[in-house]
Amino acid sequence: MEQSEFAKLYRALQRGNISRRQFLLATGLGAASAVLAACAPGAAAPTAKPTAAPTAAPSVAPTIAADWTPPAGVNLGKELYVTTWPNYHDPKTLERFTQLTGVKVNLTIFGSNEEMLAKLLVGNTGWDVLVPTNYTFETYGSKKIIEPLDLAKLPHLDPSRYDQRLLSPAHYPAGSGPLHGFNKDWGTTGYVINTKHVKKPMATWKDFFDLARTDYSGKVTIHDYQLTSIGNALVYHGFSFNSVKADELAKAEKLLIEVKKHLFAITSDYQPPMKNEDAWIAMGWTNDAAQLHKGNTDIQYVIGSDGGEIWSDFYTVVAGSKNREAAYAFLDYMATPSVAVKDADFHGAPLVDSAMIALQSAETKNNKITYPDATSMTKLEFGTAELLTNQDRAELWARFKSA
Amino acid sequence: MDRVFRGQAILLYLFLYVPIGLVVLFSFNDGERTGELRGLSLRWYERALGDEFALSALWNSLVVGVWTSLIATALGTMAALAVNRAPRPVRVALEALTYVAIIIPGIVIGIATLIFYVNLFEWVNPWLAWAWTSLGLGNPPVLQSGLHTIIGAHVVFTMAIVFVLVRTRLAGIDRSLVEASADLYATPWRTLRQVTIPQIRPAILAGALLSFTFSFDDYIVASFVQGPGQPTLPLYVFGSIRRGITPQINAIASLILVVTLTVLTVTYLVSRRSLQRPPVALNEADAPAGGGSNA
Amino acid sequence: MTATASGRHGESRQWRRRAATALFLAPSSAWYFLLLVVPLGILLVFSFGERAPEGGYAAGLTIDNYLRLPTRSTAFVNTLTLAGAGTILCVLVGYPLAYYLATRAGARKTLLLVLVIVPFWTSFLIRTYAWLTILGNTGIPSLVEALGFEKPVFLNTPPAVMIGIVYNYLPLMVFPLYVSLERLDKRLLEASKDLGAGRWRTFAQVTLPLTLPGVLSGIILVFIPIMGEYLIPALLGGGKVFFVGNALVDTFLQSRNWPFGSAMAVGLILFVLVAVALYLRVGTRGRVEREVSLV
Repeated sequence: MEQSEFAKLYRALQRGNISRRQFLLATGLGAASAVLAACAPGAAAPTAKPTAAPTAAPSVAPTIAADWTPPAGVNLGKELYVTTWPNYHDPKTLERFTQLTGVKVNLTIFGSNEEMLAKLLVGNTGWDVLVPTNYTFETYGSKKIIEPLDLAKLPHLDPSRYDQRLLSPAHYPAGSGPLHGFNKDWGTTGYVINTKHVKKPMATWKDFFDLARTDYSGKVTIHDYQLTSIGNALVYHGFSFNSVKADELAKAEKLLIEVKKHLFAITSDYQPPMKNEDAWIAMGWTNDAAQLHKGNTDIQYVIGSDGGEIWSDFYTVVAGSKNREAAYAFLDYMATPSVAVKDADFHGAPLVDSAMIALQSAETKNNKITYPDATSMTKLEFGTAELLTNQDRAELWARFKSA
Repeated sequence: MDRVFRGQAILLYLFLYVPIGLVVLFSFNDGERTGELRGLSLRWYERALGDEFALSALWNSLVVGVWTSLIATALGTMAALAVNRAPRPVRVALEALTYVAIIIPGIVIGIATLIFYVNLFEWVNPWLAWAWTSLGLGNPPVLQSGLHTIIGAHVVFTMAIVFVLVRTRLAGIDRSLVEASADLYATPWRTLRQVTIPQIRPAILAGALLSFTFSFDDYIVASFVQGPGQPTLPLYVFGSIRRGITPQINAIASLILVVTLTVLTVTYLVSRRSLQRPPVALNEADAPAGGGSNA
Repeated sequence: MTATASGRHGESRQWRRRAATALFLAPSSAWYFLLLVVPLGILLVFSFGERAPEGGYAAGLTIDNYLRLPTRSTAFVNTLTLAGAGTILCVLVGYPLAYYLATRAGARKTLLLVLVIVPFWTSFLIRTYAWLTILGNTGIPSLVEALGFEKPVFLNTPPAVMIGIVYNYLPLMVFPLYVSLERLDKRLLEASKDLGAGRWRTFAQVTLPLTLPGVLSGIILVFIPIMGEYLIPALLGGGKVFFVGNALVDTFLQSRNWPFGSAMAVGLILFVLVAVALYLRVGTRGRVEREVSLV
């Protein structure tokens, strides 16, 4: 159902205008939770110790944050500053946190890790919680921008439940060092297409860049983000997403500059043009794709079969944060499965904690955008640490934008 | 020929006002998106006025605007009054700096000021920490970007504007009144208060108004020197626009329009009143011929 | 200034006057120094530095950054072209309007002039934002499609940015043009007609040359700020129309190459200063400076 419809019903439930039963019936959650109770937990690793066992009827919606309570006797302060990505947090999740703790959550939104780093290098950001991507830990750890997590303050976090391949980048120094963050979610970089207008089959980045220059000229957007845009241009030529080789980069640059005049926009905020139908194809991420699809089933998500990126975003605490206690309370809150699952219903990205995955509805787990088949992801690569600071790629991107 | 002129003038006025009109029109849209008018409703105004983030951004903008205006007007007026009596190098330097402040693109000011602040804080904060701890005063204050840094940057440009406006006006006033006042043994302060300032009041007011409007409307400088979690209204609106145009933004936009128009109208009315009151005349026969029509 | 200096009274009065002057000039001078001179100085120093590995500034002394400025020449040329074209458009559109207001509008001319300026007093951001809906998919393109033509794309193109420029800066061009036209001695026009010159001849040989200072004022008032524009290309250009301003912001906030960004900023300042100096050299006859009013 439409996200806004769902929101309306939920608000009505909160205000008491409809009964719990009416809500569950109207949203279909009642059916979902019944199914959940009937099946075993999903495909993830089986060390499951669900902190909130899904019982019959009123399950997910009404008991949303009942499993999390603020830490006793800790002064959390009044404000919390979280730096994150677009459309990444359910406003209700944040409101609920404020209701439980009295801490106001202020979001700062960026469209690329480079921008986050730029502000962090300037210093004095005043941020408390940062949501960076996997390849940034080398830089952030070595420059002491984020701090090693104080696990004692995170009782709801159980790193053993997390897929280790996705969690491991958070160890700094790499491998054995202390955890500097835990996964919020993971996802891929592919592209969304509006099948109402896009009739040609599209499955690869070759299709993306070729059709952008021909059939769908003027209707395509790419990220304002060197990592993914340059990366996928490299994939087009058959090179590695993470390449920093001069000759390969030169080819990617040539492609990008050629495509530029055919683009509708260069933006990491592609939801508006897609919804508006100003653009029919947009380089995008899993979570946005899931949200767009929910609002318009014509919009599909394509993972390039010739390559692309698989990524994971993490919750971290900024070093020297002024609202450290609130930051840890927030992280603990988001580490709580029942909370994270409800949040994931909004942002649509797949989760990493097996207990969380167990709690998700069958509908979510069967959603091919959120949880794609493993076979479609074989060629995807994780971004490498050096890409964040590589001068050649930064310079290339700046030249491309100025071209 | 007349008709051609009038026709093109009408077209131009339409060009100027229709877009703004559309913004206001769609703020009353009952539908979810701008561009598709579906009945009229006030609900987006409700949403806008209930939106905490928008309201706090508005408050920030007002605070910054008022402070900028006060400081810029005071400093700029004082400088304009005194500059002609300063020794030549000082005068030339001040004029050059004013010139530079007006001409330099806002971006450059934003960037340069940001770099300055960052270095300043990096340099000062350790000292503060050292001073506070050695004096045993508890937690040292940490200098950080915030509304005050925005005010600091805004004043640079607006002070220059006030300076130019007041100085121009000053050059045009009737000198004989000032001289007469001095001849009558009025102290310089009294002359200033009762003769000079009333005559330049329209320029001071215009400067104050311009300073407020510029500060209230500024995006680029604020975007560089803002502090965390304290966006001004343009920063908030710009951020929202990038996420998509909604009628709520139109509602906020209309409210901004109302604010700026109100400030404009009020100041215009006030300055017209002060113009109609004749400047201080030492006796009826010597009353000068009005203070000009420039606001 | 009349100074009835008489012996010791005179001296102490002199001293007090100097102290007062210094007092009046001190705050603004200090502000300019701290928040204009020092930041620009730091910018200059940075422009000779090197980029730290992960971004930011590392001390150094090299002119590499200036040597690399040509790599951004496309953005610069883009800005120059669109700024130039936009300015010319403003003149072409604004002159007839100003002419109409100054000569044909009769009693209502002040009101009509104010109506042109009023949009300029409203929020810059909102005015630019207004065009997003009009030029976007649900605006004019839909209209064109409904009329049976192929749906055009307006947003994120140079024309869109041009429209934004003209829309935002037209009032700034009309005002000096109006002032100049208003001051034109109408008797000269009558004389020209009496001497048998046709309408166009009068215009070309009498009106235009006499109002040239106004045109030049307008050009400077419009062209210079456009060179430093950021908002219009950011909102209406979608990353595809890239001005020097956008390149500057990106360099600091994405590629984090502060030394290079500083060099770009210094380059921009120099360009602007040279442009204005040239204008003053070419276009000025004493009076004109007074006419360049910022109100």
